[in-house]
Amino acid sequence: MKIDTLFRHTREAFRSLTRNTWMTFAASSAVAVTLLIFGFFLVFAFNISYMATELDKQVAVRAFFQPNVTDDDIDQVIAQIKKDPAVAKVKFVSKEDGLRQMKENWGDDESFFRGLEKGNPLPDGLVIQAKDPQKTKALSDSLDKYSQISDKSYGEGVTNNILGISEWVRNAVFIFGLGLAILAAFLISNTIKLTIFARRREIEIMRLVGASNWFIRWPFFIEGSIIGVLGAIIPTAVTLVSYNAVLGILNADGAYSLFKLLPMWPLSMYVAGITTILGILIGVWGSMISVRRFLKV
Amino acid sequence: MIEMHDVYKVYGNGVKALNGINVKIDQSEFVYVVGPSGAGKSTFIKLMYREEKPTHGVILINGVNVKRVRNWKIPYLRRNIGVVFQDYKLLPNMTAYENVAFAMEAVETPHRKIRRRVQEMLELVGLYDRMNALPSQLSGGEQQRVSIARAMVNNPGFLIADEPTGNLDPENSWDIMYLLEEINARGTTVVMATHNKEIVNTMRKRVIAVEQGVIVRDEQQGEYGYED
Repeated sequence: MKIDTLFRHTREAFRSLTRNTWMTFAASSAVAVTLLIFGFFLVFAFNISYMATELDKQVAVRAFFQPNVTDDDIDQVIAQIKKDPAVAKVKFVSKEDGLRQMKENWGDDESFFRGLEKGNPLPDGLVIQAKDPQKTKALSDSLDKYSQISDKSYGEGVTNNILGISEWVRNAVFIFGLGLAILAAFLISNTIKLTIFARRREIEIMRLVGASNWFIRWPFFIEGSIIGVLGAIIPTAVTLVSYNAVLGILNADGAYSLFKLLPMWPLSMYVAGITTILGILIGVWGSMISVRRFLKV
Repeated sequence: MIEMHDVYKVYGNGVKALNGINVKIDQSEFVYVVGPSGAGKSTFIKLMYREEKPTHGVILINGVNVKRVRNWKIPYLRRNIGVVFQDYKLLPNMTAYENVAFAMEAVETPHRKIRRRVQEMLELVGLYDRMNALPSQLSGGEQQRVSIARAMVNNPGFLIADEPTGNLDPENSWDIMYLLEEINARGTTVVMATHNKEIVNTMRKRVIAVEQGVIVRDEQQGEYGYED
């Protein structure tokens, strides 16, 4: 394409957008409304996915050493486990650490454990995390080969439940998001169809005088993407400002730290980026399928 | 040159518009296509600029089999064919100049060539002084002249006109006819469907009469031959 022609197409796109102010407004509003819903959904989805990942991180194998092992044995076992490509992280929990944790967990009743410091009956242990939380059981089974390890557990029942829920949540979020995007595309393509219908005569004449199909499509292509960008600005701003406010409220009171939400950055960049790209895709797609009807290709 | 060999056209709804057309129109000819309403004139015309495809038969335009041309190549075929309609089909929000220039932009003519050529064409059709007027500010005859300028601006070998004088009073109709004759004299083939008895009988040219989808008469210096 000649640079002259590209300028012409861009000029035409802008001319049409400014000439049909109301149509531009209607089309980008349709984009905006759907993207607003999508934006909120996106923030929600990112956080759910984040929580699911955090939940998965709680899943780990706890292994305990025989009481008589030496420090060398321990180092050796740790080194070997670290070599396993399925292992993400290995943490050594000494018997002293174990006792301290237990006291913390019992809170006010920690007096039960007083005096145990001298003849600490707890074994030294390891907390091992799998790279893929779904493979925690296999990882646990693989520990059988170490004679230095006397006992291990990965909280079978609880772990399976957690993994099941997070998997389910991810799938549900994905399917819902896909459905929303398709719905938005149809809504918007209908609105854009109206703007193109108003210009069918122009298209008819272009065809008669021998304009190539792509020559006819280009201005609509550019117009569609501008509508998409225009339609993405407001929902992106509204979504991010609201999210920032929610973050502010939740962080102000430490009591809600149970909900660990993603910080503004880089979430805001993802949301802005995905929303804008989706807006452009929807705008262009809507334009293309609408102009197709008049091209008779 | 336009050739049709054994051309049939049946529309999707079962209407048989053309039933075996054989015709040959040479370069630089001027041809009237006449016949009662619904006889197939419009279909005959539409086949020439490939707005419709023949159901059966072969149409050659300068030796190219139109039926075999891929859809995306049709625009390039059309660049050699100018089309004029009864209702002008001008873009209402563009001036006379812009309407004509539009046809040149659409085929990606460099800018510096457009201005000179458009002014030349507007001069030919006698509207050089009215180039900045919108279609709504022009009379029917003037609008039709703009549409002829648009059809001719890319210098096509053929000009196809579907009832170009259908909406005009006799005086304006004659202006259009003189213009078409002038264009024909410069070497462009003109094919014109018409209901105008006075014009056909006065400005004598080849006449092709179509009735019920077949050519019933084809005469040099022919007459209109109907009573409407």
